Amino acid sequence: MMTMKRNSGWMIVAAAVLAACSGGGDITDSGQDATTTVAASTVPGDTAATTTTVAPDSLPDCPTDALDSATGTVEIEFWHGMSGPLNDELVRLTDEYNSSQSKVRVSLVQGSYEETSDNYLQSSQDGRPDLVQTPEYMVQSMLDTESTVPVGKCIDASGYDTSTFVPSALSAYATEGMQWSMPFNISNPVLFYNKRVFEAAGLDPNKPPASLDELRTMSQKIVDSGAAKYGIAVESGFDSGGGWYVEQWFCKAEEFYLDNDNGRSNRATKVLYDNATGVELLTFMQDLLKDGLAVNVGDNSISGYDNLLKMADAKEAAAMTINTSASLGPVLTVLGGGQFPNITGDDVGVAAMPGPDGKPGALIGGASLWVVDSGDDVRTAAAWDYVTWLVGAQQQSEWASATGYVPVRSDAADLEPYKTVLATDPRFSVALAQLEASPEGPTSAGPVVGPLREIRSVLATAVAAIFEGADVATTLADAAKQANGLIADYNSRNS
Amino acid sequence: MAVDSLRGARKVGRYTLLVSLAVVVLFPVYAVLLQALKSGPDSLDHPRSLLPVDLTMSTIRAAWTKGNMGRLLFNSAITSLAVTVGVVFTSLLAAYAFAFLRFPGRGALFVTYLATMLVPTEVTVLINQRTADSLGWMNSYRGLIVPSLASAFGVFLVRQVFMQLPNELREAAALDGVGHTRFLWEVAAPLSRPTLGALALFTFLGTWNAYLWPSQVIRGDLSHETVQIGLERLRNNDIDKVNLVTGGLVIAALPIFLMLVAFQRQLVRGLTAGAVKG
Amino acid sequence: MLGPSAALLGVWTVYPLVRAIQNGHLRCNVTGSRCRDAGWGQYLDVFTSDDFQRALGVSVKLALLTVPTGLVLGIGLAVLADKHLRGIGIFRTIFSSTVATSVAVASLVWFVLLQPEIGVLSDLFSQWIPQLKNPGLLRDPDTALPAVALSSIWASLGFTFIIITAGMQSVPRDLYESAFVDGAGGFRRFTNVTLPMIMPSILFVTVVLTTRALQTYGEVALLTGGGPNPQKPTTTIPYLIYGDNSIIRNDIGLKSASAVLLFVISLVFAVVQFRGFEKRVHYGS
Repeated sequence: MMTMKRNSGWMIVAAAVLAACSGGGDITDSGQDATTTVAASTVPGDTAATTTTVAPDSLPDCPTDALDSATGTVEIEFWHGMSGPLNDELVRLTDEYNSSQSKVRVSLVQGSYEETSDNYLQSSQDGRPDLVQTPEYMVQSMLDTESTVPVGKCIDASGYDTSTFVPSALSAYATEGMQWSMPFNISNPVLFYNKRVFEAAGLDPNKPPASLDELRTMSQKIVDSGAAKYGIAVESGFDSGGGWYVEQWFCKAEEFYLDNDNGRSNRATKVLYDNATGVELLTFMQDLLKDGLAVNVGDNSISGYDNLLKMADAKEAAAMTINTSASLGPVLTVLGGGQFPNITGDDVGVAAMPGPDGKPGALIGGASLWVVDSGDDVRTAAAWDYVTWLVGAQQQSEWASATGYVPVRSDAADLEPYKTVLATDPRFSVALAQLEASPEGPTSAGPVVGPLREIRSVLATAVAAIFEGADVATTLADAAKQANGLIADYNSRNS
Repeated sequence: MAVDSLRGARKVGRYTLLVSLAVVVLFPVYAVLLQALKSGPDSLDHPRSLLPVDLTMSTIRAAWTKGNMGRLLFNSAITSLAVTVGVVFTSLLAAYAFAFLRFPGRGALFVTYLATMLVPTEVTVLINQRTADSLGWMNSYRGLIVPSLASAFGVFLVRQVFMQLPNELREAAALDGVGHTRFLWEVAAPLSRPTLGALALFTFLGTWNAYLWPSQVIRGDLSHETVQIGLERLRNNDIDKVNLVTGGLVIAALPIFLMLVAFQRQLVRGLTAGAVKG
Repeated sequence: MLGPSAALLGVWTVYPLVRAIQNGHLRCNVTGSRCRDAGWGQYLDVFTSDDFQRALGVSVKLALLTVPTGLVLGIGLAVLADKHLRGIGIFRTIFSSTVATSVAVASLVWFVLLQPEIGVLSDLFSQWIPQLKNPGLLRDPDTALPAVALSSIWASLGFTFIIITAGMQSVPRDLYESAFVDGAGGFRRFTNVTLPMIMPSILFVTVVLTTRALQTYGEVALLTGGGPNPQKPTTTIPYLIYGDNSIIRNDIGLKSASAVLLFVISLVFAVVQFRGFEKRVHYGS
């Protein structure tokens, strides 16, 4: 026993010494001996920094006609992050492409968004695919890999017509004057609400709340009438209620989320969400919870469906929730299975996400297609050919109707089957309308910065704390500080 | 073994205790098995019935197809078999060298071998993933199998057995002009069969159950996934049909459970090799 | 003869360890192609950072929850089943059965059981443990880690039972007989004869269970995803490195440093346990 006591004694002393030496701090601050230089101006509110443009000559070319000279079938690999019914439809479209021509054969590799992005970043040149789908928060990281062929070059080289594309879909994936990737599946968050509950509460089921204030008054009415236990179910997932929706609200408020025009005119250096708008917004959400008008279902990390399931809850349901428009298709499929007696497919109403003062607009969510620079012209051209198939008007019409994603081009709405879908179920048109209603201006392009996902994760943790009653201003300030550290660290390593 | 003889009430008491504990230990398995044998809508009943009524194979069948279980089981089986054979083979060779051959630095090298047993997978996985990637072994059987083909634990175990073989055996064989290779395969290995069997079983079980390394080397290639990762995918893809997951669980766990029942003795021997008397 | 195993271990165990130690003082760009040397102080920075300390606390708490409980339960079951009774073999098989479960299987079994809406446990026990129904043991920050621990304890029960039973079976009978003759009752015989003689087995189980607790990854990934935000009470060190929400997912330098630190911590624990048991372990009589 003496031996053990002596050993643990030393260990305790050592630990104490260690702890006293250097303070805690975030793990990502480790190894910061050199002072990091910050590029653009840091004056608060000064977001009009000089725009830098990328020199096109320094980037790989896109030889779109190389396919003509190819002999035999070109095999290319596409890594994507679609799962469930989304995956089923992608498989179907790809099979159709493969069988409709014999020049290119595409093989699919499925993962989650995180897996696909991580795998791409961690693979060497030989291990990379020819085409990869990465989510919208990966823009800066992807272009910093310096491993892709900018889609803008392909568009120019082949004279591809993008005039019918939704403008914000393209601009979401362009920075510093260059179109990096091709939007493929776009979504934005919409309000899901239970029409049956609205009727029971004496509200017009066709007039859901458009502003945050209306959200509050209608929730009050619903709770008071007993039609449902809660007005709205909120969650703090990083790619939804805790992170992404906050960016959406900033877009609706026509405010920047990051400096340097949301990181699009130059590399972003800090976040702006700890300003008055952010504090007011999250205080509002916190008050909803405190007054019992909203219920917090947690961070939604395991299934991503917790808030929707709360609407279908047998005893303590919520009347509304916010979720991505892309889930409309899967939701209706699941409800059609009859598992939930309280809410059927017909009861579900969809409307624009309520925002500050009811102002409209939304940022692009979803993912885009990046053509990888394999060094082989033929494979690059083949990947581009497949890309043009996936964003063709007919395919986008089919893709949108099967998945609930918004088509990236408005002429898809004139073709079957999407035309009929819109005509028979106008719920599917809400997301597109919300997108088209975005105000013109740089705030509608959404934030671009290297560690965007980690920043959202940090904010989501802060939002979770706020939902549990923490002080809004200090929590946001702490989160902003950590986020700025992440940005500075990323910029020092990658620029 | 204790000598007290249990009579009457004490016996009943002990049996009661044993049965109730067995129920507690088995309850999770029973509950999941039951849910897997109920049809989709039934499995969501409130309050849940714990009785084996209204049983159906439909959920298990659905899990088999949706989860591509046949392929998963096949992949796990191939990987586990290959690794088992490899580990036994490499361990035999190395253990022989440590037990019967004399060479400088033998002691130090053996200690190094032992030390590698302490390195956790978390550390090695990072670099191994990059190595596998640069070799082009991602999403392949080679990537799953090769890195696990040697085991310091196996070497330790087999050397233990070899050390207990009487010296006269080796000396007699040497007099007869039997070389090392022949001695290994014709004498030493057959005599160590029980331990080799235990090692094989232990390795098979460990490989079948491995999670971290397969999840790093098989990325999105459904045709090469093992059962453990496939289960996770099943859960993530069909979160609204939780009973589908239970069907997958039953399919995944059943082969191993049957193996346990069949090879209980060998398994015990394998696991206890390092425990009793050091 | 040594060739195959040495080459394999060298490439797949020794080399990664050395590279990881090297990488631990680098900070790299997104693809890992350009790195900057931050010095060995980076290890200290990582160790003292809030995120790592919190994860370390979680890992240690998990060990404290699972190891003593697992030991006591395993020894208890082994003692109970250590009698010549009819059908005792069946009970032994049942008690060993969880050794057949993998991390994925065991975690998913408990995941299904603990679901608030459809899990069976919430129907049965929610009267005494209201968190079972709302919001579910896995989502409540106070019960999330104990729930993960429960899954681990159950999964390791079979292993512990087998080892302890084997240890008990190798205790020489004459020791018991002389104790019986000396008038020692069942309990005294256990504490004075069995317990000291199975110390090697207990030590082995303790070291293995502690290592498993410190290296817990799969259970967390499948059950809680790192624990309900914002407290993250189930983010263990491996989950901090490899988890879905990991802040250091794409930073090879910090991941390597954290992994090497985990290795060192596991070593320290193992050494301390060996030393602590040294006085009490009897090899042979």
